[in-house]
Amino acid sequence: MKLDTTGMESAAPVWGSHNELVDGFSAAPSFELPNTTDFDGFQKEAIQMVKPAKGTTTLAFIFKEGVMVAADSRASMGGYISSQSVKKIIEINPYMLGTMAGGAADCQFWHRNLGIKCRLHELANKRRISVTGASKLLANILYSYRGMGLSVGTMIAGWDETGPGLYYVDNEGGRLKGMRFSVGSGSPYAYGVLDNGYRYDMSVEEAAELARRAIYHATFRDGASGGVASVYYVGPNGWKKLSGDDVGELHYRYYPVMPSTVEQEMAEVTGA
Amino acid sequence: MQIFEYNGSALVAMVGKNCFAIASDQKLGVQLQTIATDFQRISKIHDRLFLGLSGLATDAQTLYQRLVFRHKLYQLREERDMKPETFANLVSAILYEKRFGPYFCQPVIAGLGDEDKPFICTMDSIGAKELAKDFVVAGTASESLYGACESMFKENMEPEELFETVSQALLASVDGDCLSGWGGHVYVVTPTEVKERILKGRMD
Repeated sequence: MKLDTTGMESAAPVWGSHNELVDGFSAAPSFELPNTTDFDGFQKEAIQMVKPAKGTTTLAFIFKEGVMVAADSRASMGGYISSQSVKKIIEINPYMLGTMAGGAADCQFWHRNLGIKCRLHELANKRRISVTGASKLLANILYSYRGMGLSVGTMIAGWDETGPGLYYVDNEGGRLKGMRFSVGSGSPYAYGVLDNGYRYDMSVEEAAELARRAIYHATFRDGASGGVASVYYVGPNGWKKLSGDDVGELHYRYYPVMPSTVEQEMAEVTGA
Repeated sequence: MQIFEYNGSALVAMVGKNCFAIASDQKLGVQLQTIATDFQRISKIHDRLFLGLSGLATDAQTLYQRLVFRHKLYQLREERDMKPETFANLVSAILYEKRFGPYFCQPVIAGLGDEDKPFICTMDSIGAKELAKDFVVAGTASESLYGACESMFKENMEPEELFETVSQALLASVDGDCLSGWGGHVYVVTPTEVKERILKGRMD
């Protein structure tokens, strides 16, 4: 199956190339079908194979000073933890971030592809692409692969001329604009903390602490989230990584161990 | 999701010099969600016999209640405690009674037998006994536990060293499993005393 590589083809016309490139429109994504007797069954199997049910917690919200983006770092295969140090916040370009939920390969590839398309847009139009435009590019690509088994639940967060922007884009081709999002199996727990503590007028430190707490609480309750809580801030000058705390240590920072009362104490035994 | 992975659990028992240790994690979950972080999986049958039950929590509770009932009857009739080997046979028989509608549990039995010789064994859900001289494991993290125990185990460890080994093996293994963890609970039993300790672990 050939993937959409229009972002990687050279824009300059080459001898004997297709007319479509010269026109300025990129070729529509095309793919070859595999040689199987039962294509529907094969598709179903392929989808089930890459469907590790978005075991993760990611969140992002807009506030007065910009956008706060946070995520955990656990990768799970069924019940097995395959890694505790996965980078789930992807740097698309110096002023835009994408979060990863779903298939790691899918998210990494398509975010990088988006980064390429954004750069090409910059070069062709002599100005940065807006968050609206970038999220639309990604949503359209994912829509064209609808039903093929991609697993992507991402948030595009950035700062453009109109200010902070946040969009949620998923593998069904859905695209939502909003102020607060959380994606992944740990998202209900993160929403609980996030919705309770959210105010538009927060300082950067307060917002970072809210994001960190929300991720921590999600890792506590959700088995598929854990590892390190990373927090990034996107402001007028681009994104900046604020912290990466191990949630094992965060637990004992928020809930330190108190000496408990002794229930049963043993007396000294004389002789054996 | 599989029925054995519905609640999540990790259990390990290890033999030392005239002593044994039995340890479990403390999480009770429902698939990926955590419900409790202080769930008791190991129960005392009598001062020198401990039973740990991994697998489906409701079956573990019911099975435990049935076994305590049978042991109490035995104590009334025989006027003494059950030996660990006898108890293991009892558990095996009770599990096989339900051969075609089993309890979804994997028990780990650890006790001090005659002459204070430590005895450990585990079983599958229909009562197939597996006696071991060194260690037994059960639960969703069992594969990691096998690896950890195999590399850390030494013969004839004293109680303090045994505690260290069991704790490290347990914590290392549950850190690689989404469905178990959230602390540990270790019992180290010698002929004269039982030491119960709670382990501070990763709470994610």
